[in-house]
Amino acid sequence: MMTPATIEAAELTLERAGESIPPRVRARRRSTAKLLLLALLAVILLVVISPVIVVVLGSFLNTSFLGLSSEQWVGDGTDANALITFQWFSYVLKLYQPQLLFSFQLAVLSVVVCILIGVPAGYLIARGSFPGRRWLEELLLLPLALPGIAISIALIQAYAVIRGRWYFVLFGHLIYTLPFMARCVAGTLRSFDCAALERAAQSLGAGPWQRFFFVVLPSLRHAITLGALLVFAVSFGEFNVSFLLMTPLTATFPSALYATYTFNSFQVSSAATVVFLAVILPVLALIQWLGGDELSKVEQGA
Amino acid sequence: MLKRFAAIASGPLLLAVLVVLLVWPLICLVSGSLHEGNSGGAWTLDNYTAIFQTRSSRVALFHSIWISLGVAAAAVVICLGPAWLFVRHDFPGKRIARAVLTLPMSFSGILIGFLCVIMLGRIGVVPRLMEWLTGTDYFSGTAYQLGGILIAYFYFEIPRATLSLESALRKLDPRLELAACSLGAGAWQRFTLVVLPQLWPALLATFALTFCVSLGSFGVVLIVAKRFSLLPLEVFEQIIAFNRYPLAAAMSVVLLAIALCASLTARWATHRLTHVR
Repeated sequence: MMTPATIEAAELTLERAGESIPPRVRARRRSTAKLLLLALLAVILLVVISPVIVVVLGSFLNTSFLGLSSEQWVGDGTDANALITFQWFSYVLKLYQPQLLFSFQLAVLSVVVCILIGVPAGYLIARGSFPGRRWLEELLLLPLALPGIAISIALIQAYAVIRGRWYFVLFGHLIYTLPFMARCVAGTLRSFDCAALERAAQSLGAGPWQRFFFVVLPSLRHAITLGALLVFAVSFGEFNVSFLLMTPLTATFPSALYATYTFNSFQVSSAATVVFLAVILPVLALIQWLGGDELSKVEQGA
Repeated sequence: MLKRFAAIASGPLLLAVLVVLLVWPLICLVSGSLHEGNSGGAWTLDNYTAIFQTRSSRVALFHSIWISLGVAAAAVVICLGPAWLFVRHDFPGKRIARAVLTLPMSFSGILIGFLCVIMLGRIGVVPRLMEWLTGTDYFSGTAYQLGGILIAYFYFEIPRATLSLESALRKLDPRLELAACSLGAGAWQRFTLVVLPQLWPALLATFALTFCVSLGSFGVVLIVAKRFSLLPLEVFEQIIAFNRYPLAAAMSVVLLAIALCASLTARWATHRLTHVR
């Protein structure tokens, strides 16, 4: 058992001892472990990034040169020996435009609904003081641990009547996106003394709505932006739930990806994947740039 | 007046949203799994006994559990490395490395399955490279075997495990290690005797999280499974191919129960570990 006093003492000892240890010895001892870890990181990075690079290259290079596919079907009037071709993109965009559009609308709608419901929900679970608040929080965050396919079957069993309507898919997305927004907001609210700010505003004569809109919301701007980006990314990439909820008319872009993987050539599949990445990567980059360290608290679940 | 209304109504309103979105569907799921036909019928437990009596679904359940367990264990152990680097060390390109590592976060299972086929399929990149280097196409078709599935699931878990471990490592008090250092503990001793005992709850929580995610994911196997079936894929096939909702519902309930048990066990263990000390 270590008491603060022992730690203090040890720190002092260390400081004194530190003078006598030559700094070079210390640095070298540390660096072997660090080098090993860096090598591990490099291997993991290679595993993560190399397939993505292959896909991006495969989407516009004539891959029969690389020996990856035996022969290539080319459309009318195109040069079969051209090294670079962008025809697969136009093919994918033409064929799967409705799905791309629907997924985009769905993601934007999810963001809007999550701001309308998820932000107050996050406020409630962080600042509310009613019986059962903890249970409500557990319930709100529960879907992150549940298999998507089970949720989609549950939704089908419960609301078979509205199956086939576009908002049925939205239901499924909301179950998985609301926790992200609520967690972002609640996390930020817990990280500073929001109650003190509100009391200060109250003492200056601000009513409850004024306090919410002019004191609480502005301090949540960062959390809401981050949450909205996360919700967009989750919703746009979602496959497990939407694939069973949708009908051919309400198909999402990931399901179009599935269709290309099953029925189309490597080039078409790659082009479709690159289209998907082109939407999702800027969002992910923004999330990284804005989120930084907070991400590790928020980003969990599928 | 308005304030009182907001304070009293907002909790129940949120509860109502959650009941509509989550609780009621789950109740319907359980009730559906206990009925004979797609639309009602007599109450029965046959759907559950069918899971364990049918060989294919029993095997799928077994595979699901041990593959998820294995991948979760591997993810926790291996991702501790990058997480440690991100928290404790500085090196050039750290931000970019972290961004790349969290990339698979929003990849759905099918996309990872596709990447796996490209790299390790019958004429994938790795076999081609091997053939060019050694003359034999090693790893050809690995994607469709157990190895491919394990790698694909691991790919899926890299960002989740790393981020979860990172937040745990950030909370550790470095002064404890300094103290141990001053008492003469070497790097390995510090890690096993000081860091690990503090880290156990987080390791368990991460293990449970990655286990749950692996258990529920079926996109990967949807693309690559040739000889292997996992329980989520069985659920999917019961609906798409046979339109047998009660059986699919029963399998879903089994999946839900395992996932819930895993996260509850992890939480209970975390609670115990953090409060005993």
